[in-house]
Amino acid sequence: MKYLLFITFVISFSGCSALTRVAPYEKEFLSQDKMSLTPLPERAEHEGHIFLIREASAGGESTFQGGCGCR
Amino acid sequence: MKHKLIHKIVTALVLVTSIYAQDSVVDFNLPSLYNQSNKISNNTLRGKVVLINVWASWCSGCKEEMPLFVDLQREFKNNKFEILLSNIDSDSKNARDFLAYVDKKKVLTCVYDKDKRLAKAFHAIGMPSSYLIDQNGQIIESYIGSLDKEKIFILQKKIHQLLGK
Repeated sequence: MKYLLFITFVISFSGCSALTRVAPYEKEFLSQDKMSLTPLPERAEHEGHIFLIREASAGGESTFQGGCGCR
Repeated sequence: MKHKLIHKIVTALVLVTSIYAQDSVVDFNLPSLYNQSNKISNNTLRGKVVLINVWASWCSGCKEEMPLFVDLQREFKNNKFEILLSNIDSDSKNARDFLAYVDKKKVLTCVYDKDKRLAKAFHAIGMPSSYLIDQNGQIIESYIGSLDKEKIFILQKKIHQLLGK
């Protein structure tokens, strides 16, 4: 039973190792309008603000800056 | 004892190589955005103060600073300072269309870097990224994010200093 739990634990977290960081210069397709949180610009600004507060990082949702929170 | 010595040597080597990699410009030979057969390399720019700017037409910050670069290049007509734009668009037409609107007289030199070689080599952590390089090919300063009028003014002073004025 312990082994089974251990294997389940390892498998469930193995996906985390495959996370890749997208460099700012690779965000061409992420910057397209269809990739925004909402098609409405006013609402996108609001949702961006919520995202900023929740994630504590600025710029991560767009191409401008690297999402490092330095601006 | 042996392990400590090996560890120190490896650390020193890593430090030296990282400093060397960050300080000097990488070798490149990239086609012009306007004419694929016209190649521009780092040798072409030797002896000049150069501002390399990594940009794309899909990057709003890059587009904001472009008119300021046109003005900056116009100010230095003596051919000793050059702004080199490195475009990383997947379709170069988008970049050409934008520059045709902003830089009608083609004041700025632009290379097309489809494989993002320069961006990768400089480890650009933001878009746009600019790098000021002196006559010996050494990176003097790097700027992450778009440059506003105030920053361009400081940059101007630095260029004058490098040119010995």
